[in-house]
Amino acid sequence: MSPRQPDASDADAPADTTSDAGHPHSTVGRRSFLAATGAAASATTLAGCLGGTTGTPTINVLTWEHYARDDVAAAVEDAVDATVNVTKSISSEKMFAGWQAGKDQQFDIAIPNNNYVPKFAAAGLAAPVPVSDLDSYPAIYDFFKNAMDTQLAVDGTPYGVPIRFGYYGYGYDSRAVPDHDPSWSVLFDGIDGVDLSSAVALYDNHFKAMSAAALHLGFRDAFDGDRITLSESQLGAVTDALIDQKQSLLSGYIAGDASFVKGITKGDFHVGHTGRMNVTNMRADGTDWIEMATPTEGALSWFEAAVVSTQTDHPDLAWEVVNEYIAPETGATLAREGHAPSVNPETTAHLSERRTELYGAIDPARLADMIPSKAVANEDAWRAAWERVKTA
Amino acid sequence: MGDTDSVLGRLVGSPRARLAALLAPSGGLLVALLFAPLSFMVAVSFARVSDASRIIWHPTAANYTALVDATPFWSTPFVTSLLLSVGIAAATTVVCLVAAYPVAYALARRDRGRRVVFFLVLLPFFTMYLVRVYSWYLLFGDGGVLNDIATVLGVGPVDAFGFGVPAIVVGLAHAQFPYMLLTLYAGIEAVDFDVLEAARDLGASRRAVFRDVLLPLTLPNVVAGSLFVFVPAFGSFVAPRFLSGSTVLLVGQLIAGRIDSFNIASASAAATVVVVLIAAAFGVAARYTDASAGGDH
Repeated sequence: MSPRQPDASDADAPADTTSDAGHPHSTVGRRSFLAATGAAASATTLAGCLGGTTGTPTINVLTWEHYARDDVAAAVEDAVDATVNVTKSISSEKMFAGWQAGKDQQFDIAIPNNNYVPKFAAAGLAAPVPVSDLDSYPAIYDFFKNAMDTQLAVDGTPYGVPIRFGYYGYGYDSRAVPDHDPSWSVLFDGIDGVDLSSAVALYDNHFKAMSAAALHLGFRDAFDGDRITLSESQLGAVTDALIDQKQSLLSGYIAGDASFVKGITKGDFHVGHTGRMNVTNMRADGTDWIEMATPTEGALSWFEAAVVSTQTDHPDLAWEVVNEYIAPETGATLAREGHAPSVNPETTAHLSERRTELYGAIDPARLADMIPSKAVANEDAWRAAWERVKTA
Repeated sequence: MGDTDSVLGRLVGSPRARLAALLAPSGGLLVALLFAPLSFMVAVSFARVSDASRIIWHPTAANYTALVDATPFWSTPFVTSLLLSVGIAAATTVVCLVAAYPVAYALARRDRGRRVVFFLVLLPFFTMYLVRVYSWYLLFGDGGVLNDIATVLGVGPVDAFGFGVPAIVVGLAHAQFPYMLLTLYAGIEAVDFDVLEAARDLGASRRAVFRDVLLPLTLPNVVAGSLFVFVPAFGSFVAPRFLSGSTVLLVGQLIAGRIDSFNIASASAAATVVVVLIAAAFGVAARYTDASAGGDH
């Protein structure tokens, strides 16, 4: 914004040297003040312009809150010759929609959940991964190398780099909910002898909520293959299960991790669909009554994967930043801030024993026993079904 | 030159030219910020979106037919959410009208304390809308303050204090109340109160004076205030999301959700229908208030 220029009224007005209370104060006159302000603003603008052309390049990243923490940004900037500017997002869907609407020119990197990477690639928004340029790649778990070649690939070319991982189950308030066999059915049928009416929360997200319902109904086969595929009859059954649950056990749908913490702490619900990272965060913050349940039908695993925009002016630098997120030290910093394990096991060397126990050393072989979240084959039908649930 | 000057002088000097010059900036803003985006939205509503989420400019009415593609047609998510939105917006309007009319009347009749009341009414405007909604979020819900109090008093938890439609109506009414109050106050304050007293002198009851004199005189303001409340309430999506626990889907939320998933052709069709309905409501209201103003006043 340009500074206000003196106008005719300013020229006619005497220099203001008296306060409203009538006390003289020997400061600069209004005209002098405006001139000085104008000069300062012009100098700042000029400096900004010069800085934009000759200073350190900026890499803009669209991703989750933990990446924006000072320690994480500083760790990346210490290792890479770039200023890292992180914009926070609360959902992969919003990241994708934003890039679709033109933000792929504003951001160099986005880090959505793994199931969104094929969408970025199919829409021409993500550049192929130069695997051989990523120094930290050889150290990541084989599980994720394999995921890069399958889930994150289109026609055999990988478009995303895994960063950190976790899984979804449900958390519960152990003061109100007794020990029980962990099962997705707790979210849909409750627990015998425990009144959970209007005391259960699900994610306000078609993918997560409907996946949970599908697993509760035993549609495990739908999660095999490169895409999650529910048949029409399975989709109908999932929809009915969610509508039944809404009318009996549901307290509300939660937007994200923060909503889970607020709601279960406030007492709005006692059981809530959530990621392990969220529960670990709460326990690390001193909430000892929160418990995590990993359903026996299979927890839904996730991992975040970085994509680099096809429109970036600094592709090499962007991939350097991505590489740094999975480097041992920076990866450990990210794990510490987000309480979620890195895809690089070498990060544990930079974590305390307690932190390693809490979240640093989850063997991804555990993920092999879980159900990987992937892109959905018939997503429009899922969205339509989810709207029916929400309006039921 | 002289001829040119005189032509220019006539153009600039004519009332029509001066009016055009006055209207040009606002007209330009309307075209750039309202009509152009609306036109684009209507155009997109007749397009398709590819699997790669690209707009394909191939004319189709499929986005509109999909809005009512069910048996019965009112069971589609769009129509269901539209009807719920109308119901909630109507309830909000009624709550605001019933609460604001007596206050506006009292403010118009009495000078004493007027400034204080106005300050208190406008006080929420100095706070962000999101913060106000969040304060209601803390009050409502099974673990909210209202239910905590009800439980302490031995009558809770009360369903009405949980998240849902009642909480949404309360939150929206709180947000829209000043618009209704100020609009009603402007109308009531302009009423010649001698007319009311004359009616009373002639034997009319208080109820009859209100029904037959005051209400007709302030009807344009009632309609205008109702529109000021109804329209924003109809399209709201922040308050419903917080205060229903996301268990209901109003039409604003439905459209926002479709945009988030880049289903913008479908979202545009839904939004176009909403815009047309609101424009029609405005048209009916304007016609009605004009008629009443011209007929009875």
